[in-house]
Amino acid sequence: MSTRLVNTLIEQIIIFGTIYSGMLALLAIGFTLIYGVTGVVNMAHGALFMLGAYIFWVLTASFGPSGVPLVQLDLGPALILAVILTGIVGAFIYRLVIHSIIEDLAAVLVATVGVLIIIQELMIIEFGSYRWPVVPLWEGFVTVWGVKVTYSQLLAFAVSLCLFVGLWVFIAFTKIGKAMRAVSQDREMAMEVGINTERLYMLTMGISSAFAAIAGVLITASTTGFAYPHMWDRPLYWSFAIVILGGLGSIKGTLTGAFIIGFAENAFIFILVELGWGGVEFLRGVVALVAMVIVLLLRPKGLFGKRIEMEE
Amino acid sequence: MSTYLRRAYSSFATHILDIPPRLLALLFLLLLLAFPLTKPRSTYLIILTAANMGAIFAASWDLLVGRCGQMNLGHALFFGTGAYITALLNFHLGWPIGVTIPLAVLTTVAIAVLVGFPSLRVKGPYLALVTMALPLIATGIVFYFKDWTGGERPLSGLDHFFSFLPYEQWFIAQYYFTLLLLVVSGIIIYKIANSHKIGVIFVSILDDELSSRASGINTTKYKLMAFALSALFASLAGAISAHLAHLRSTDIGMLSLTTTFLAVIMTIFGGVGTIYGPIAGAFILQFLQRYVLVEVVEVETHWQMIIFLGLIVVLIIKWPRGIAKFTTDKLEDLAEERPIEERGKHIWKRERKKKSSHEG
Repeated sequence: MSTRLVNTLIEQIIIFGTIYSGMLALLAIGFTLIYGVTGVVNMAHGALFMLGAYIFWVLTASFGPSGVPLVQLDLGPALILAVILTGIVGAFIYRLVIHSIIEDLAAVLVATVGVLIIIQELMIIEFGSYRWPVVPLWEGFVTVWGVKVTYSQLLAFAVSLCLFVGLWVFIAFTKIGKAMRAVSQDREMAMEVGINTERLYMLTMGISSAFAAIAGVLITASTTGFAYPHMWDRPLYWSFAIVILGGLGSIKGTLTGAFIIGFAENAFIFILVELGWGGVEFLRGVVALVAMVIVLLLRPKGLFGKRIEMEE
Repeated sequence: MSTYLRRAYSSFATHILDIPPRLLALLFLLLLLAFPLTKPRSTYLIILTAANMGAIFAASWDLLVGRCGQMNLGHALFFGTGAYITALLNFHLGWPIGVTIPLAVLTTVAIAVLVGFPSLRVKGPYLALVTMALPLIATGIVFYFKDWTGGERPLSGLDHFFSFLPYEQWFIAQYYFTLLLLVVSGIIIYKIANSHKIGVIFVSILDDELSSRASGINTTKYKLMAFALSALFASLAGAISAHLAHLRSTDIGMLSLTTTFLAVIMTIFGGVGTIYGPIAGAFILQFLQRYVLVEVVEVETHWQMIIFLGLIVVLIIKWPRGIAKFTTDKLEDLAEERPIEERGKHIWKRERKKKSSHEG
């Protein structure tokens, strides 16, 4: 390979890796938040991701299953509505399902997988197993170093960074954020000093679901562009790989994990394609999972594994 | 001769007739044995065959998770690997089933030990999520070698067990064959789980791993053993399922989360950590899913799934001990008065309680 080719390759890897990592971080942030505060491994996060994308599609679609527009709101209000509705659904899932079995890790895992598949089947019943187009929030693209980057990808990346900063500020400085840290450190003690842990858990679940919805809309619009009943599976597995790699419940770890996996995958794919091995795109997920297993071999609790922590 | 008979009878009476749950199991077995006498449609035989295989699979999960406490959510890996290895050998090399199935089972046990090693370093939710990732990696490999494995498409046209019999008898023969397998492996798993050498140590690892290590138990060895034993039966179920007369194919779904989840649902439905619970759960749920919801109340497939899973979620919340555990506890309570605090201990609740006392 000539030097020029290598340079292009590196540029491609850097740009795609960065954008992609930002999106992966957006995926995993809600997942890690709910674990960090409540200790729940919420498999229904995938369903909430899907629900966000579906609600957004229903609110903005120019044609529904019967061929006529359903609601047709503007994109901004539709996004906000989707996020709020998904947050409410998440809080309900917490109240109805997780609340009474929160002590029992295995039961929570199984029950939330149950909820996940129930929501998937409801989507199939309501909208069929077709792929519905989700419109991007922002059309168009720019060319950076000869690489085409769409505005919606940039938007997803920017929103992801903003959410991370916002969450950090929220946890560090607001009263509710402090309560979250207190509950995560010692639930009983937090109850003793008068924190309403039940309400806090419900709120955390709501926020986490809202993050899932934002991720659902932005990532769907900027990558596949379609909402369909099995759209949750890959994102959910990616969130696992990321949060485990970074350490469950650590916000810093999530960001690090997302960047490690994002770059590892893109480097792997681009280098293999450059070497002339086509058809490796479906190995993407495998790269993430193998990276996760390797990190766990070296550090069984992930890179920064704890319950929720304060990053200085 | 008559002394032997008498001794056999008295042993039968003390070990089975006097213990109500075992008597119940025996009656259930007799019912299953007698079922083909009613000349049922072959659909029903197929449903029961699937229940037999599902029962072995779920019981093997229960041995690993309910007894040894290693939260494995990638059990489909063992099932699917067993099925794919026997299928590949049988399909491409044309080896007879009698060779390929044992080979597949042995290879899967070796793989289980291999994946067991890294998995032992991690605990709790980490273990659950890592094991969940393993079947996905396997799925990636199946897709990569799609010229051989068929990728998304099933690898069909495998041999099956009773091709020497006339067509009408295939399903009955296969039903009895799988039932025999279920009885044998069920008894073996139950014996292992309750043995004084292995089973007790498994439960000690579940209860408190640190303490059992402190008392001189090589926990790594026993955890690996749990992985290997569990993989043995799970891959047996998988390998046999690939060669059943009505399937004769592998399927990428054998490696999916749904397959794992089936074992989990059956176990939770029947009662975690009991071994007989998952077996009962397998039969009840197969009956419910493929007979009641299909032929009695005819509902659409997706609604079936929703009703089914909704039931499971409600069950987990309201009745976490499982249906078989509940029944046998009631039976034992009738047979002998047990102290109140012994009743209704949920095996995972115990672990959690211990944990919160550590934190507090």
